[in-house]
Amino acid sequence: MTGVLLAVFAAAVSSSPAPPARVKPRLTMPPLQARLRTLPNGLKVVSLADASSPTVSVQVYYQVGSVDDPDQRSGFAHLFEHLMFKATKNMKSEMMDRLTEDVGGFNNASTGDDVTRYYEVVPAHYLETLLWAEADRMATLQVDEAAFKSERDVVKEEFRSRVLAPPYGKLFYAMETRSFTVHPYRRPGIGSIEDLDAATLEDVRAFHRTFYRPDNATLIVVGDFDPAKLDEWVDRYFSKVPKPDLPLPRVTAVEPPREGEKRFSETGANVPLPAVLVTYLVPPVTHPDAEPLRVLEALLASGDSSRLHRTLVYEKQLASRVAAGADLRLQPGLFYAFGIAASGHGADEVEKGLLAELERMKQTPVTAQELEKAKNQLLHDLLAQRETASGKARALAEAVVFYGDADRANTDLARLQAVSAADVARVARQYLTEKNRVVIGYAQEASK
Amino acid sequence: MKRLLLLLLVPATLLSQETPPAPGAPRPVVLPKPAEKTLANGLRVVVAPRRNVALVSATVMIQTGAEADPKGRDGLADVTASLLTRGAGTRTAPQLAEAIEALGGGLESDGGWDASSASVNVLATNLPAALAILADVVRRPTFAAPEVERLRKERLDDLTLALKQPGTMAAWAAQRLVYGDAPYAHPSGGTPDSVGRIRREDVVAFHRAHYVPKNAVLVLTGDVERDQAFRAAERAFGGWQGGAKPRQTAAAPPASPAPRVVVIDRAQSGQAAVGVAALGIRRVDPDYHRGSVANSVLSGYSGRLNQEIRIKRGLSYGAGSSLDVRREPGPFYASAQTKNESAAEVATLLLAELERLAAGELPADELTPRKAVLVGGYSRELETAEGLAGELASLALYGLPFGEIEKTIPAIEAVQADEVREFARKRLPRSRASLVVVGEGAKFLPALKEKFPNLEVIPEAEVDFSSPTLRKK
Repeated sequence: MTGVLLAVFAAAVSSSPAPPARVKPRLTMPPLQARLRTLPNGLKVVSLADASSPTVSVQVYYQVGSVDDPDQRSGFAHLFEHLMFKATKNMKSEMMDRLTEDVGGFNNASTGDDVTRYYEVVPAHYLETLLWAEADRMATLQVDEAAFKSERDVVKEEFRSRVLAPPYGKLFYAMETRSFTVHPYRRPGIGSIEDLDAATLEDVRAFHRTFYRPDNATLIVVGDFDPAKLDEWVDRYFSKVPKPDLPLPRVTAVEPPREGEKRFSETGANVPLPAVLVTYLVPPVTHPDAEPLRVLEALLASGDSSRLHRTLVYEKQLASRVAAGADLRLQPGLFYAFGIAASGHGADEVEKGLLAELERMKQTPVTAQELEKAKNQLLHDLLAQRETASGKARALAEAVVFYGDADRANTDLARLQAVSAADVARVARQYLTEKNRVVIGYAQEASK
Repeated sequence: MKRLLLLLLVPATLLSQETPPAPGAPRPVVLPKPAEKTLANGLRVVVAPRRNVALVSATVMIQTGAEADPKGRDGLADVTASLLTRGAGTRTAPQLAEAIEALGGGLESDGGWDASSASVNVLATNLPAALAILADVVRRPTFAAPEVERLRKERLDDLTLALKQPGTMAAWAAQRLVYGDAPYAHPSGGTPDSVGRIRREDVVAFHRAHYVPKNAVLVLTGDVERDQAFRAAERAFGGWQGGAKPRQTAAAPPASPAPRVVVIDRAQSGQAAVGVAALGIRRVDPDYHRGSVANSVLSGYSGRLNQEIRIKRGLSYGAGSSLDVRREPGPFYASAQTKNESAAEVATLLLAELERLAAGELPADELTPRKAVLVGGYSRELETAEGLAGELASLALYGLPFGEIEKTIPAIEAVQADEVREFARKRLPRSRASLVVVGEGAKFLPALKEKFPNLEVIPEAEVDFSSPTLRKK
């Protein structure tokens, strides 16, 4: 089915104004035929045998993110993610690195608003070892005081690297604090020095107990393995991780609709050119408007032919950098547009320019040609992700964790294809309104 | 750090603890076998199919980069490369962007050291159309005067932003400390002054001299069949004419200036950036793999620098190093960002690790994993169309046969501990390393001066990256 759809939309790509670019309709995106299991303790297991590389990607997603940071502990979920590389009952600190990096693989982790992701790629014959290790840190994390304090210092340096050192770090920090009023999304995932300093080892134990449990996790394995062996190993190492009796807390706060434009001014040191960031509250990632919002993002900000770059950077030369994006989450998230002024121009001009482009998306539907261009760019991104086992695992993980449906990874294309110019204009009209707008201006702080 | 490795070797000490299950039998790594052909006009074409997804990548590499920037025109190679996509053939800049993006891909061009390149990465069915655009961009760029002016303005703003990042400032300062006034010394994208001086005539002349088929290599990787790729290359580039291969800026290997300790003092620096720099080696140096392994012992997540600075002491989000190999000896650079108060401690740790690499122990249970990191990274790099294209282009650029791909993993595995030590001692001695710190001097200068009494302090406002002294005249 995907082959047919692709053929239709590849054939529809029209040529540029100059010499026509001829396009042959032959594209396919082979489906990811994943296998699903759920263990009695609630662990979901998604696997895909794929021998195109002698490696295997192992990923564990926990449905816990910055949204679950305890009160007065902003940044905690992220700090905790760092601590998952410390000691367990059976492993010394950093042993995950011994089992991955030291055998020619790699590991990493990331903390999002809603989920925390741990991922490794190792030579395929180390699969069993990694399954053991992931099960072990799910069940028996044992961080000590010294490791906790040292890693907290690392995270404070990460805060300085992301927020204090880059010229626009404080503007992006303000994006969360200024965009949400009630919902815990208002706390930046990186936290604050004060809240990080307030965290204790007891907080760490409680967080692990509460959220790091099999019925809150999804294991994804993609690569060169024997499915029967995989099942045997998963049973051996993960089945014995107990499912606790504790309830799984979920955030129930609801961010209220915005009732009128709000404006903020932020400043930072070493800001050579002023900037502006505009955000709108948009529905959750599972909402049917998610796809048109992604297409809107591509139209506005993907590549040099995108609306914002073409108009503000190229034609009017008002801005030196522009961006826009659909920051979609499990609860209502944000659509944002951003620009750094070109020298000689002010943040007010950039704001006017950004808003004019958003307005144009509402008033005039994009042409079929421009729409197909944006879809082709999105298709390219989908394909590029599938070049590696790690990318395929990520596509499957997001399908399962965000949508509860592994097949979403195979139907993304059809949904993308179904988005019309009218859909794009409609979501722009519906969400990119003055009433739903937060504007954050950013400039050099007054000299002391 | 070795304490951790012992865990794997002495499971008896674990008592009631579980031990990780042992690995199974390793699977063979399948390496790509590129094919190549030289067109009648001298263009070398390299094809390496890798058909796991329906994408194809094509890169034209010109074997000249920022090392050929004329005096006073720092950034010319990069500006020239960047202008390729701002109008070519019959298309304007916006028309080019529209055309390539409609094919489901991107068109990029930039200049680096030793080479400049333009590349497209598109849905596989669109290869012929994409190659036609790539050929226009390389062979027939317009260099319209308004586009030159526009790019110059953009560059000035980019440089303004870059010069507010402590990490960028430290890296640029480090290049000057290693190369003084030699070809690799300047920022490859230029400085505000030099970019302001670049004129259209400079760009046209640079393009005419260097963008000729005899100085170019076309690399195609991804979902493409070999003969089809050669035919497509012939169609798009067969008619490309141009002069002789230009002489490479083969400055004799620069004798590195005397090492310095430089502090760039800036107010309200969110962190201090600390860097240690020294002259490294050429890509074709017989010590190349020994150097790579030496760098791997220092760098990477579990490399010594990150072990000592991040993992043991929590002083940085990340510390690492690079051994950048080029046509002439490239730079070695070790760096980390830290809070201003700990800049002196981090500087001491970076230098101490350079010394320990030359004189200290390197046990097998440390060396083996650091080699495995390189082997694994190399295998993964070759798994993506882009990574494979990069490696093929690099081999071509430095005149190395593609058979190197098959020799690389065994060569890494053969490196011995005493060879790493000898490499560090002879090629990266502590005595030839310079130190740079960019940050709030008041918070670290007293401690730093104690260790480096001869340090130079340059206030941010007086820094000039186009000057060998780093000071404005």
